[in-house]
Amino acid sequence: MPIDDKTLVESAREDDSAPIGHHLETGGTPLDQVAAESGEGSRTLWSDALRRLLRNKLAVIAMAYLVLVTLLAITAPLWTKQLFGDPMYADTTKIMQTRFLPPSLAHPMGTDDLGLDTFARVVYGARISLMVGLLATAISVIIGIVLGAVSGFYGGITDSVVMRLTDVFLAFPYILLAILLISLMGMGLGPVLVAIGILGWTTIARVFRSSILSVKQNDYVEAARAMGASDLRIMVRHILPNALAPIIVYATMSIGGVILTEAALSFLGLGVQPPTPSWGGMLNEAQSYVVTQPALFIWPGIAIIMTVLAFVLLGDGLRDALDVKVSE
Amino acid sequence: MADDKLLVVDNLTMYFHTRDGVVKAVDGVSYELNSGETLGVVGESGSGKSVTALTIMRLIPMPPGRVEGGDVLFRGESLLKMSDNEIRKIRGNRIAMVFQDPMTSLNPVYRIGRQIAEPLILHKGMSKRDAWARAVELLDLVGIPHPESRVKDYPHQFSGGMRQRVMIAMALANDPDILIADEPTTALDVTIQAQILELMEELQKRIGSAIILITHDLGVVADMADNVLVMYAGRPVEYGSVDQLFYRPLHPYTWGLMDSLPEYDVDEKSKLCPIKGQPPSLINVPSGCSFHPRCPFAQPVCSTDVPEYRIIEGGHGAACHFAGDPGFTRAEASPVPVPAAEEVAW
Amino acid sequence: MLQYIGRRVLQFIPVFLGVTLMLFILTRVIPGDPVAMLSGQRAQSPQILAQMRHAYGLDLPLPQQYLRYLSDIAHGNFGQSIATGRPVREIFAEKYPYTLELAFAAILVEIIVGISAGVISAVKQYSFWDVTVTLSTSLLVSLPVFWLGMLLQMFFGIWLKNWTNGQLYLPMSGAGGAGAPFPSYVYLILPAITLASVSTAYAARIMRSQLLEVNGSDYIRTARAKGLSEGAVLRRHAIKNALIPVVTFIALDLGAMMSGAILTETVFNWPGIGYAIYTAINKRDWPVVIGATIIVTLVYMIINLIVDISYAFLDPRIRYGGSEGRQ
Repeated sequence: MPIDDKTLVESAREDDSAPIGHHLETGGTPLDQVAAESGEGSRTLWSDALRRLLRNKLAVIAMAYLVLVTLLAITAPLWTKQLFGDPMYADTTKIMQTRFLPPSLAHPMGTDDLGLDTFARVVYGARISLMVGLLATAISVIIGIVLGAVSGFYGGITDSVVMRLTDVFLAFPYILLAILLISLMGMGLGPVLVAIGILGWTTIARVFRSSILSVKQNDYVEAARAMGASDLRIMVRHILPNALAPIIVYATMSIGGVILTEAALSFLGLGVQPPTPSWGGMLNEAQSYVVTQPALFIWPGIAIIMTVLAFVLLGDGLRDALDVKVSE
Repeated sequence: MADDKLLVVDNLTMYFHTRDGVVKAVDGVSYELNSGETLGVVGESGSGKSVTALTIMRLIPMPPGRVEGGDVLFRGESLLKMSDNEIRKIRGNRIAMVFQDPMTSLNPVYRIGRQIAEPLILHKGMSKRDAWARAVELLDLVGIPHPESRVKDYPHQFSGGMRQRVMIAMALANDPDILIADEPTTALDVTIQAQILELMEELQKRIGSAIILITHDLGVVADMADNVLVMYAGRPVEYGSVDQLFYRPLHPYTWGLMDSLPEYDVDEKSKLCPIKGQPPSLINVPSGCSFHPRCPFAQPVCSTDVPEYRIIEGGHGAACHFAGDPGFTRAEASPVPVPAAEEVAW
Repeated sequence: MLQYIGRRVLQFIPVFLGVTLMLFILTRVIPGDPVAMLSGQRAQSPQILAQMRHAYGLDLPLPQQYLRYLSDIAHGNFGQSIATGRPVREIFAEKYPYTLELAFAAILVEIIVGISAGVISAVKQYSFWDVTVTLSTSLLVSLPVFWLGMLLQMFFGIWLKNWTNGQLYLPMSGAGGAGAPFPSYVYLILPAITLASVSTAYAARIMRSQLLEVNGSDYIRTARAKGLSEGAVLRRHAIKNALIPVVTFIALDLGAMMSGAILTETVFNWPGIGYAIYTAINKRDWPVVIGATIIVTLVYMIINLIVDISYAFLDPRIRYGGSEGRQ
């Protein structure tokens, strides 16, 4: 694979004691050629990247945090009710005793204005945020890759049309368009997912398209073609691995943005409706109590910040590991 | 006048201290320059020829670079020991520099006039109006047509050759004693190269500056230089007058450089002979003579002992164990045969 | 340069049409019965509904509807509020100045704080200041803007008041006006800082990275070789080049802010167009939501176009197209 060809040649070059008469310009020792043909490259590329990622302490911490949160979120229905009470339906008779309790063993983050346990609600909010984050990003990625591939591979008019389409989508102020879409579809989780999903494809399409364009021109594609490889083989073996890396990085980082958008939409009342807890929704409810009970807005806020930050750090780590140059 | 040579570089040594190791970029370089002389500094990429010049001008960031020894004397004064203020008064004023790539060496958002006027205003205290007028004169001097209108243009509105002329004009603005030209023609078309060199020669006669001409092209040096310094891997390997060097070269590397010059008057059967191998990494400089891995005449002593620079004939010297030995000349020396076994090392 | 401007304007037209078409499809074509939405879903007699349908031109074939839609926009007819019956255009004219005020205040903060922080960060790379700026900017971009608003409300509205025994505090809500305890501009402080925060973080980062990149350029080396002091090199050569992308970013940001900072306005009850849209959503006053969105989108597009064009003035390479062949 191309990257390994280069690394091998480079390391050979640094060896001063190369025998005289050894021309290094012609692609290195026969060893390189053998490695290239056996296709060992693609496997070493990914495991190499994984190793580099694991060496990045921040990324590892971020991943650990995300795994923890995901586990808590997925298993939530099994344990929250038992440990902390129902996060959605309050016992109205006991409100006066149970509301606004400070943090304690029974209620690690205290309780809110209805006496519901804040920690449990935050965990349930994580379910929504993570689900929207992953699914909406998945939608964007699928649309983006398809449109980007079509655009990059076929060029010409198709390319122009798709590029114009991205211009149109980017001409809207993001939040307002999301609001508009949701107003039309009705409020709730589904519309939020769809709205964010179909708004996020533009950058991915562009990135994928430019990857395809630059890879199309590369010599090793020509070399592969000269060796008799079919179009599909070229696409999968040569183009895809290189084109995929920036997408992975961008998608990971954009999950953070999606979570923020979902929180914003829920804050405005357009997302999941009460009583289902969502981080944005909790912040909305906390608005009336900023003065009296700041804890109500602090906890969901911290949850959002940490989760978004985790995705950003993970994306950063992936970018370094996969050695991608994605402009900010 | 007396003993104050214009420029004396005395055993200058400068290393870069990086995370990957110590880069021995300049390793014991010495030369002298008199008024009006032209010194050609020749070597491959990575030989340290540009870095030496930048070190003289103190344009090397000092971490990670560090002067490990030696000195540079300009009219008897040490350039390395001067304060920052003092060296700034010399830059662009008494010693000026022209860089390799005129496209990127000019600031794209300022007009040419302003850029040429800058050193004039800075060092000579000229008014803006006078400086711009002088800029027009300088543009005319370097052969740019319609200088009055061109002076208001931006760099991107000039072609490569024109831009380099502008850079020369900018460098000569304050009538410097020394002009350092770092590969001034490398980024230009072959046809333009000759023009630029001619221009520099002409200007030198008019203004009387000394020139340090840094290049990898021996042909350029043959034309213009009075003296030549050949560098390899940060070290000087041969130094002499241009005649001495071209007619009686001492060092195998110099022979290699000459061999790789295409000649007009040979039959078609003879091939271009590049020097085999690649320049060494400056972090892991080969032991002994740094050229020995690529030298067709290398003997065991070459890999163990660093050859001292020795004077062989008046002012002409080389750093090779066999330099000056009878029979060790370009015409007569025979390469040491390489044993067949080594070639199949892998 | 005229070529450049011409090209940009030409590219604008299909995008404009595309945007209006998309808005048209979203608001007139997709909803099952647009009239129901536009009339507020209160039970109306079929005759009135039919009348409304005719008034809105919904009985016309689609292409004609689109043309009428475009002409409506051209005439400034953006619908009517269900709640108050006022034309959206009027509501917009009333609320928009507040949004503009907030946007300009925020941009001021962004320019001053963002650029300085970026410059200092780049000049003193790896210093304590640089690390602080890098960390805080990383943090800020992970922050929900509206949460930051609430945080600032808590600090400066409540805690400050408590610490100074009610002497010193900042207002947290509204925009002041007649009879208010503070002059109007004081009300602007917290919302402006909140709105500016995330953008300032981005601006600082961009400034920093641009400056670092420029510093490695050849022409900076030339400037030093001419004998300029480090300060002069920075001020006269480095910053001007590094500033170009930063200015572009900030200008585009201004455009985004002028599109109604709905989140910030909501948190602070700032009576701009964003807040108006928010209350309209709550009241299900769809014509206001849709109409205001259309206007704001158009404003956003025009500002982007202006920024694009002004790029020509900033960068001499575009202003005077390269004449490479000139010998």
